[in-house]
Amino acid sequence: MTTSATRSPVPRDHPAAQAAGGAGGGQHRTPLVTRLFGRQPIGMLLAAPYAVFIAVIFAYPIGFAVYMSFTDYYFTAPGVTVPHPFVGFDNYKTVLTDPAVLASFGHVGIFLILNVPLTVALSLGLAVALNRAIHFRTFFRAAYYVPYVTASVAVVAVWLFLFSSTGLVNQILGPLAPDPSWLVNSVWAMPMIALFVTWKQLGFFILLYLAALQNVPKELYESASVDGAGAWRSFRSVTVPGVRQATALVLLLAIVTGANLFTEPYLLTGGGGPDGASTTPVLLMYQQGIQQGKPSTASAIGVVLVILVLIVALVNRRLTERSER
Amino acid sequence: MTAPRIQAQPGDEQDDDRSVPVVVATVTQGSRWRRWLVMGALFTGAVVFLFPFYYMIVASLQRSPNTSVGGAFPSLGNLTLDNYAQINASLNLWQSLLNSGIFTGGVLLGTLVFGVLGGYALAMLHFRGRGVLFSAMLLVLVVPFQLSMIPLYVLIARDYGLGDTYLGMILPFAINSTAVFIFRQYFLQLPSELFDAARIDGAGELRTLWSIALPLVRPALLTAVLLTFIGPWNEFLWPFLITKQQAKQPLAVSLANYISTVQASTVNPYGAILAGAVVLAVPAVALFLLFQRHFVSTDLGSGVKG
Amino acid sequence: MRPSRPSRRYRHGLAAAVLAGAIVVLTACGSSGGGSPDAASAHGPIKIWYSNNEQEIAWGKQVVDAWNTAHPTEQVTAEQIPTGKSSEDVIGAAITAGTEPCLIYNTSPAAVPGFQKQGGLIDLSSFPDGTSYIETRTGALAKQYASTDGHYYQMPWKSNPVMIFYNKDLLTKAGVDPTKPPLATYDEFLATAKKIVDSGAAPYAIYPAPSSEFYQSWFDFYPLFAAASGGKQLVADGKSQFNTPEGLAVANFWQQIYAQKLAGNETYTGDAFADGKAAMAIVGPWAIAVYKDKVNWGVAPVPTATGMKADQIHTFSDAKNVGMYASCTNQGTAWDFLKFSTSQEQDGQLLTLTGQMPLRTDVPATYADYFAKNPDYKLFAEQAARTVEVPNTANSVEIWQTFRDAWTSAVIFGKSGVQQAMTDAATKIDQLASQK
Repeated sequence: MTTSATRSPVPRDHPAAQAAGGAGGGQHRTPLVTRLFGRQPIGMLLAAPYAVFIAVIFAYPIGFAVYMSFTDYYFTAPGVTVPHPFVGFDNYKTVLTDPAVLASFGHVGIFLILNVPLTVALSLGLAVALNRAIHFRTFFRAAYYVPYVTASVAVVAVWLFLFSSTGLVNQILGPLAPDPSWLVNSVWAMPMIALFVTWKQLGFFILLYLAALQNVPKELYESASVDGAGAWRSFRSVTVPGVRQATALVLLLAIVTGANLFTEPYLLTGGGGPDGASTTPVLLMYQQGIQQGKPSTASAIGVVLVILVLIVALVNRRLTERSER
Repeated sequence: MTAPRIQAQPGDEQDDDRSVPVVVATVTQGSRWRRWLVMGALFTGAVVFLFPFYYMIVASLQRSPNTSVGGAFPSLGNLTLDNYAQINASLNLWQSLLNSGIFTGGVLLGTLVFGVLGGYALAMLHFRGRGVLFSAMLLVLVVPFQLSMIPLYVLIARDYGLGDTYLGMILPFAINSTAVFIFRQYFLQLPSELFDAARIDGAGELRTLWSIALPLVRPALLTAVLLTFIGPWNEFLWPFLITKQQAKQPLAVSLANYISTVQASTVNPYGAILAGAVVLAVPAVALFLLFQRHFVSTDLGSGVKG
Repeated sequence: MRPSRPSRRYRHGLAAAVLAGAIVVLTACGSSGGGSPDAASAHGPIKIWYSNNEQEIAWGKQVVDAWNTAHPTEQVTAEQIPTGKSSEDVIGAAITAGTEPCLIYNTSPAAVPGFQKQGGLIDLSSFPDGTSYIETRTGALAKQYASTDGHYYQMPWKSNPVMIFYNKDLLTKAGVDPTKPPLATYDEFLATAKKIVDSGAAPYAIYPAPSSEFYQSWFDFYPLFAAASGGKQLVADGKSQFNTPEGLAVANFWQQIYAQKLAGNETYTGDAFADGKAAMAIVGPWAIAVYKDKVNWGVAPVPTATGMKADQIHTFSDAKNVGMYASCTNQGTAWDFLKFSTSQEQDGQLLTLTGQMPLRTDVPATYADYFAKNPDYKLFAEQAARTVEVPNTANSVEIWQTFRDAWTSAVIFGKSGVQQAMTDAATKIDQLASQK
């Protein structure tokens, strides 16, 4: 039995497809089962391992963190009982009026503004370039992927060396080098971290785009070129919409990675940078929650961070959904 | 001159790693100049990207540390494999690699088996709790590890009693949520005609999953493997927390331990550290090289043609 | 028909939160624990952790073997944990989960108040000979290790009194006398440092770590403050003691060093002293084994404002102690092993194998043979009698972090005035130290 071929396959999450989909499967089930378990209850079975995993591994720690943020809590040895008085929003008040915490959120904001557009643009551009059958394609793909694979600890040492005041970069720049040098300069510290993370994570996002590009049907490019579109035009009208899903994922992951930044400020700028110019919320959470034994305020910072990221992600989804209506 | 027209020829986009130009194109002068520009930009970018890694390798091969700029291009007399030998002598390299392999393998298994099922269910099937599960998945992606670290450790080490076990190491990473997200997106992108055809033919959901969805998911599997591999392979903090027996520690942890002790005893401690990092990176790069050749455009349109 | 997004998300988010809450309650109810009341006299196998420093491993193995041979029914199993940044985090997490061993031979005194607050440490004074053993062995210095209630929750074990190492070859190159370099007063030290850098012998005169971790001030400010104040701690009786003329003099001294670029303000990967990037370093006797073949070194006490005599100068102890932890069920064995491993013989082994100073009275005389054979260490042994420990006070880590933040801002990067920064830090620290 054949079905008609369509020029541009309709993705499953298109509103029209969602409305029409699933209609065939529910016809011979009783309405009660459908009402209780949904149209394809087999889905519960298939998703059960993942759901159980989340419930068992993450629900307790995350729930516990929220609980800690509303009490005056510290960790104790088993069998030691201490009162954990409920303090309402006190921890949140402390955290949101602490200039160090607010500064750390500001630093993350700077990071995101620098890192996210650069990441999306560079990774898409490079993925498109690396998708063509060019000379040395494997070498190039490996070259851009390698930083992602190397452990941060080791590669940070190389960067510290390259960007130190007597390092290679300053030697090349000569009189243009900033003083104090890059990583100890309160203006440049956070942008340097943004640059480092962009460089390091690019391989991951290129990979996502490469995979997505495989699914853009060649017929679209052919019909675009038949219609007289040049390389840039076909990029804008075929490639960019075609990888819309991947862009949504790349944006989400870049934002989440940026918001949860910890290792790089910790290693690259020695635990917070010159005069605290590159602290991040998660760094403060680590200092307060784990080093100083104050998990309640650390959890308050964490909850605020998660809420902010969810808001940004929601806005991001709204914008990307709206753009292709 | 008219605008450049590039006409794709049969045999385009073939999987071919040999440096044979495959794109046969009728091009004008402008287009060739642009191609060289692109190649030049790519090459410069690749050099910039690779330089720190190159420097890591060079520094790890040095006998005595040369931290000047000239050290980037070392003389042959200063090169030695001693740092690698030193690592092998100080920590049980093969045991650590094995532990890393078990840890990463367990995570890959969990993600590929249960993650695919979960992603498929989230994408294609309507069931009660689908929205909650999706929100939970997003939440897991967003929450930083430091927030959940100690309760998670208490949960796994004390409540489940899994300290110093492989299962305890694997458990928090067992199903990578990013991979589930990718699977879900991938299934959403598949043309609905494939599934409608199966449904019209009377196939049940499991049958559809087995005969239609799974055979098509290979590209997403490859992506997921490459992305999921790195997390557990380079992970230091969690295995460090959960294992104290050196026989169970993966390579990332052994190397970190080694870093904290190596300062005193070697001539070039920095070089030894970098040698360790290179050893850690090589399998991941090798895996990538092996898999990336499969990133070829599959012609999905042919799946719906008669 | 699709419901509007916010309300669907809200409902799902709410459902997820309720589910999570239910699981929290269930798990929280399920945990139990607590030691048995007879644990203090119980005997049996125990587990210990020690650091994975090469020399300490050698010591650890021999002490465990010696004990196990003599006590077949009370075997000791040993595991290693790294001495690095994360070891306190690991111990804290282990305490919470109840997975820590009986004894940890790597307990930092700064972490003890936190562990004690968690209920993770066992009161050593509760043993009949607890206090007397500790005070007899360690003498006058023992009081610094007692907690605010006067009991001992840690056994003082070993110290690494920090002094100034200098590179004799680099000093010669700079035209400074390598046998008796002028390093006794702040002015002399600054002049010598300037001479070293100006002559090009080394890019920096000295290179303490400029990063912001809470413990870094132990190796630039604290040793000099201990010397200048004649042995005072940062905080005592809930009040800060560093916002004084002596403390400010130390801060201003370091501020001068950084302002004249005699020390680097970027993190250096590696050891600046070993690499010849700095002509001096502030380290303890553990460094002798490290620098033996790399640097032609000499040692001097830390500088003071007025050039105090060497036998009156105090310094930071950089001690590592032993704690007995709450999950221990065979505390009788643990206490016996603790005494065994800190006996005169085992302390001597520690000295021989690691070069670090056991925290016991009159080390130079007790091990005179060793010092006759290893005169390098004699100076440190004498210095070990005059060390200052980090204060045992509530919020110890946070206090040091507050101090460090002020230090990096004012002294290292010159972003704020030294006087003002120290005063602000003192106010905050007073608050923190007076909490329970």
